[in-house]
Amino acid sequence: MEKRHKALDVIIIGCGVTGLTAALYTGRMKLSTLVLEADLVGGQIVNAHEIENYPGFASIKGSELVEKIRQQAEFFGASIDEFDRIVNVEFTNEKKIVETESYIYEPKAVIIATGMTRRKLPLPEEKHFLSKGIHYCKLCDGHMYQDKIVAVVGGGNAALDAAKFLTKYAKKLYIIHRSPALTADALTQERVLENSMVEVLLNTEIQKASGNKVLEKLTLYDKNKDKTYDLPVDGLFVDIGVVPNTSMFSKYINIDSAGNILAGEDCKTNIEGVFAAGDVRAKQVRQLTTAAADGTVAAILAEKYIGN
Amino acid sequence: MVKVYSIPDCPWCEKVKKYLKLKNVEYEEFNVEEDDEARNELYKISGDQIVPVTTIDGKNYVLSFDKAKLDALLNL
Repeated sequence: MEKRHKALDVIIIGCGVTGLTAALYTGRMKLSTLVLEADLVGGQIVNAHEIENYPGFASIKGSELVEKIRQQAEFFGASIDEFDRIVNVEFTNEKKIVETESYIYEPKAVIIATGMTRRKLPLPEEKHFLSKGIHYCKLCDGHMYQDKIVAVVGGGNAALDAAKFLTKYAKKLYIIHRSPALTADALTQERVLENSMVEVLLNTEIQKASGNKVLEKLTLYDKNKDKTYDLPVDGLFVDIGVVPNTSMFSKYINIDSAGNILAGEDCKTNIEGVFAAGDVRAKQVRQLTTAAADGTVAAILAEKYIGN
Repeated sequence: MVKVYSIPDCPWCEKVKKYLKLKNVEYEEFNVEEDDEARNELYKISGDQIVPVTTIDGKNYVLSFDKAKLDALLNL
C-alpha cells in the first residue's frame, strides 16, 4: 500500500527531555508538531531512579519527570508517536522528508533530538549472555538478582546510579572500572560507597564473560597488579558511556569524528530548517538542564525559520 | 489470552502494554516481582532473566519490546 503524505510544521526526532521540551514550545507557539521516538519516550533519563539536579524538584524519578513534560507538551497540542519507526530521511535547504513505516512526512522544519545510545560491552560474549546475565536496564532486570552477586561495569553517574539501585536486591555488588578513579560526582559516589556490600575494582578490565547457559563468571585483568583472575558473578549491568544516534542523518548533516552533529548554540545545522538539539549536538556539557535549554532554543528558532 | 510478565516501574514493560492497548489486544498482566508462581512460569517460558515477556501459549514468546515480533506473535 502506498504511504500517505502528510504536511506539518515541525517534526521532532527523538522524545527525550530535549525533544519533549522542544515540543512543549512549538506546541505553545501553535505549530503543528509531531515527535517521533524509536525507543522509549523520555530517552536515557527514563532509566534514572532518582534525579536531584533538575531545578524545581528536590528528588524525582526519571519516569515521573518525563511523564510531567510529556503531559505538558501534549496539553499544548504536540503529538507523540513511539511506534512508527523512521525508515529514511531526506534533507535539503528547500525540502525536508521524514519517511516512517506508515507515512511520508513533509515538515517545514526538523529538530533532531535523538540523543545518545548506551555503549555496548565490547566483548564477543556480550550477545550470548544478553538477558542471560548481561543487562542494560536495571529497572527492568535488577529484580532478577535478589540475593545474588552482581557487578556494574562503568564509573560515571549512570553506573553509580545503577549500583545504588541494585543494592536493593544484591547480596554483593562490584563496581568494575578501567580507570584509576570513578568519574561520578562526589555525592553520588559517597552514597553508593557507604554501603558495605559494595566493592570497587579500579584499573580493572573485563576480558571475558563465561558460564554454562547463563553468566557465571567474569575474567578480569587488574592493571595495577598485572594479574588476571576470575570473579564469580550472577549478573553484570553495563553502563560504560554513550554514543550519539546520528548515523541516519550523516548523508545530509555535518557530523564530527565522534558522531556528534556540528551545530552551535543556535542549534542550526548545515541544512536550513534542520536543527540539532540536546546531547546529539557537539558540546562540552550534557545535562538534563542543557537538554531542556537546547530544546527551547531549537523550537524558538524553528518557529522563526518557518515564519520567514 | 495474551500474558505479559512484567514488573512495576519497568519502562519496556510499559511500552509493551501501551502497544497492546493501542492495538486493542486484551492481556493479563503478571507482576513477577511479587508473584512467585508467575516468576517460575516465566523462567520456564523464556529461560532468560529479563522482563517483559509476552506470550499466548507459553511456548512462543517475545522478549522486551519488539514490534515486528509482537505483530507476528499476535497476528497484528
